Amino acid sequence: MPTMEVDGKKITFEGKKMILQACLDAGVELPHYCYHSGLSVVASCRICLVEAEHPNPKDPTQMIKIPKLIPSCQTPAMDGMKVYSKSPKAAANQKAVMEFLLINHPLDCPVCDQAGECSLQDYSYKYGRAESRFEEDKAKKPKKDIGPHVLLYSDRCIMCTRCVRFTHEISGTGELAVFGRGHKEEINVFQGRPLDNPLSGNVVDICPVGALLDKDMLFTQRVWFLKSTPSISPFSSGGENIFIEHNQGRIYRIKPRFNAEINKWWISDEIRYGWKFVHENRLSKLVVGGREEIAWETAEAHLDGMMRKAVAEKGPGSTALVLSAFDTTEEMYLAAKWIRSIDRQAWLVLNPPRVEGTDQTFKNPVTGAVTYVIRAEKAPNRRGAEKIISHFSGNTCELSDLAAKVAGGAFGAAAVVLDPVPGTDRAVETALTGLENLAVLSSRPTATTGRAALTLPVCTWAEKSGVFENYAGRIQAFDRAIEPLENTRCSGAIFWSLLGESGTYRSQDGRIMMGREGLPDYAGVTVPKREKKIQLMEFSPL
Amino acid sequence: MAYAGPVLLKRIPDDPAQRKLYRYADYIATGGYASLKKVLAMLPEDVIKLVVDSGLRGRGGAGFPCGTKWTFLPKDLFPRYLAVNFDESEPGTFKDRYLIDHDPHILLEGIAIAAFANKISTSYIYIRGEYHHEAKLLEAALAEAYEHGIFGQKHPGTDIVSHCYVHRGAGAYICGEETGLLESLEGKRGWPRIKPPFPAVAGAFAKPTIINNVETLACLPAIVEHGAAWFKTMGTPSSSGPKLFGVSGHVNKPGVFEEELGIKMSTLIEKYAGGVKGGKYRAAIPGGVSMGVLGTDQYNAELDFDIGRKYNVLGLGTAGVIVMNDKTDLVVMLRNIVRFFAHESCGQCTPCREGTAWMHKILNRIVDGFGQPQDFDMLAELCLTMGAMPGTTICGLADGANWAVKTFLQKFPEDFKSRLKSRQVQGVAGAGVA
Ligand SMILES: Cc1cc2nc3c(=O)[nH]c(=O)nc-3n(C[C@H](O)[C@H](O)[C@H](O)COP(=O)(O)O)c2cc1C
Ligand code: SF4
Ligand code: SF4
Ligand code: FES
Repeated sequence: MPTMEVDGKKITFEGKKMILQACLDAGVELPHYCYHSGLSVVASCRICLVEAEHPNPKDPTQMIKIPKLIPSCQTPAMDGMKVYSKSPKAAANQKAVMEFLLINHPLDCPVCDQAGECSLQDYSYKYGRAESRFEEDKAKKPKKDIGPHVLLYSDRCIMCTRCVRFTHEISGTGELAVFGRGHKEEINVFQGRPLDNPLSGNVVDICPVGALLDKDMLFTQRVWFLKSTPSISPFSSGGENIFIEHNQGRIYRIKPRFNAEINKWWISDEIRYGWKFVHENRLSKLVVGGREEIAWETAEAHLDGMMRKAVAEKGPGSTALVLSAFDTTEEMYLAAKWIRSIDRQAWLVLNPPRVEGTDQTFKNPVTGAVTYVIRAEKAPNRRGAEKIISHFSGNTCELSDLAAKVAGGAFGAAAVVLDPVPGTDRAVETALTGLENLAVLSSRPTATTGRAALTLPVCTWAEKSGVFENYAGRIQAFDRAIEPLENTRCSGAIFWSLLGESGTYRSQDGRIMMGREGLPDYAGVTVPKREKKIQLMEFSPL
Repeated sequence: MAYAGPVLLKRIPDDPAQRKLYRYADYIATGGYASLKKVLAMLPEDVIKLVVDSGLRGRGGAGFPCGTKWTFLPKDLFPRYLAVNFDESEPGTFKDRYLIDHDPHILLEGIAIAAFANKISTSYIYIRGEYHHEAKLLEAALAEAYEHGIFGQKHPGTDIVSHCYVHRGAGAYICGEETGLLESLEGKRGWPRIKPPFPAVAGAFAKPTIINNVETLACLPAIVEHGAAWFKTMGTPSSSGPKLFGVSGHVNKPGVFEEELGIKMSTLIEKYAGGVKGGKYRAAIPGGVSMGVLGTDQYNAELDFDIGRKYNVLGLGTAGVIVMNDKTDLVVMLRNIVRFFAHESCGQCTPCREGTAWMHKILNRIVDGFGQPQDFDMLAELCLTMGAMPGTTICGLADGANWAVKTFLQKFPEDFKSRLKSRQVQGVAGAGVA
């Protein structure tokens, strides 16, 4: 494999790559602002300049020193190259660029949301100078409301144009542009054409400074208090990789987590802002026969009893389990196993997820390459549900067919897991009209929870762990980000205890059980290790 | 050195009353398009060789050998384009306009020759926005040229039809930088491109493209007519041929004059421009403000492509000489130059965008009487970090700004230092006024 030496450290790289990318891939940090692995190279911020030598192609024992500083983001890495990012010349340039970027910067970090995750702050410590030598008046630039989700603080902008390139190359919508020239230039939208596209929130992530801010998160939390948990999008069948960022049991934001094959660096606004249901309008009371129940054990026993009574009275095949495509595969497995242990002919039904139109595909208008797909199917785990249903096979039917069976009077009882977001409530309600012995597992109140004989408050994806299987059959695990809301349990825990399993339910135990019982695909699935965030700051003792 | 009279200006007499616009018929009547006819009977390779042999170097500023540039075109990549740089925005530069005002067909003939030699499909004349009149002149001349089959025909022996269009810019200096020009030509913001790819490989519309200055192309008819050896009889070994010099500033007779390369600046000023006006010679810009300044002791500098090395300036540039007499406020002059760069920086590169504006603010402060002793070193440091460290920025604008500041400070330090006072002294003076 080709190797390169960066400030004395050997790194290897593969294929055609720029020096900067090769370094980042090898975990060696070089300063950069305008470069983003997912966007075209403009080499305009000039902080990544390095000195370099490369072997003479005619005589590889000889090194040729490149006389100029070269942009590492734009210069291909060569086997045998030696890169110097800490040489006096390179360091002088870094220092100069930092000074240039800061002369007109308002230095309002104390009130800036980006503080704590700002490249300008980080590089300033590492490459900048302690004092400002700028005695002139700073340029003043306005704050602008540029779209439904995004604010632009022009005075903090360093003109890296990442955001502009994003709207041209990834969303293909081109709302953002550079206006004006030289030091007077600003990022802006065209009049009457706000930054309003289904991927707009991504510009906030790629802005290296606090110029583009998320209205949703504005002034709500300092980022250094946030913990981030790797997770999977709970709203769409794409299986987009995300981080849930939270503090003290509250989610503050969702950020994309890089996955080369799925969502790359991006997520849709639907995923980014769709987490509100976790904290809004939640059920946290156990309701049995219209009365509030205190003990989970009693409520669970009631659920179990309801099903057994139905089978005793009306015979096998008189119960049904309606699964939600928002639950994890493990939970669905346990639920199905439980009901089939009571009623060998219990009906297994999937509450079909909402589908909004067709998949929305984004392309780079110039290259035609697909940059992002928003899936039409608005649930994370229909594949998982289908797998479980076909694994247990026997009596299965569509939700719409359930109505006829219920109306026919042959039914005794049903357990229903509701989606955590509205959308399919009506279909479930219609299918089960008139059924008296109805147990509902739901995270929020709906018409069905209002009339059910038994309501069990369950937690949302952020409060549990497990696997989702995306539209393409990719099984991905995620971790619990926050503690379950008080007095809620995940459906997995409920069925785990109803199956008489010992101990607290953990999703990996569910996967092990599935592995033992004929579903081997799940046993090895784990949450990928957090990529180590490169430590930017090296504080030297004062 | 043997300069025997005007080559480029042969249809433009010195006396303004005698000057007129040469239309197609007038141009033909004075031997025009004969060189094109001659060229069409030659092999394209031989034309390129002729231009290489002539030693013709670019007249747009950088002085790159024209024929060599042409040989960079990849062998089998078509279509190929020619972009004619008529952005002429460098302060002190008005030579291309002067030529086109009177003799537009000399450019069109040059373009036709270059197009044939390089198998160009389309030539774009990129003209700066403010040149309304010249745009109209060129449009009219182009219509005549099409009518007479100069354009709109296949290059002999090929299927490539040669076209030529006038494309008007919107008035930005940076669109004269060759890749900024290409972006602007494509309808984008005139932001210079990062290289590679070089324009010869992927230029306008991602196709191989040559960029040449108006004057460079206008030299071609004469080279074809008289040959490479003749061209080399003028000028110096490294800078052959005749050259248009624009002289402005403190001279009695400003204007565009033709002479061979390598003449002394003093000769240009005294023999052609009527001598220095209103005082004695003190300083001069050799070729557009990007080149820096010539000192009082550099009055006799030879104006050729070696001037940079010999006289500590960036180069000959556009040979637009700006003369300053001994009553000129050089601080104000530099402030004005830097104002220009701050205004025209395209804003891509951090050092250029921020550095030009910063230097402008410092110079404003000095001119306003609030300069402090440390400002001198600050300016010197800023211009060095901005442009002098090779590779710092994408295009040459930053280097131009740097050379202007650097050479003013180096060659006239006292003009600046005498204006700088410490805060305390300023405070006392201020108190006295109040
Ligand atoms: C900032 C900047 C402005 C320029 N402006 C012009 C211009 O107005 N006209 C021009 O011919 N060349 C200009 N140039 C030089 C061109 O980039 C290029 O070198 C030239 O057009 C090539 O033609 P030539 O080889 O025939 O000289 C400029 C260069 C820079 C860096
Ligand atoms: S707003 Fe942010 S991303 Fe956009 S150019 Fe400015 S600094 Fe870069
Ligand atoms: S050097 Fe200045 S003018 Fe040239 S590309 Fe960079 S910012 Fe633009
Ligand atoms: S990261 Fe290379 S120039 Fe900006």
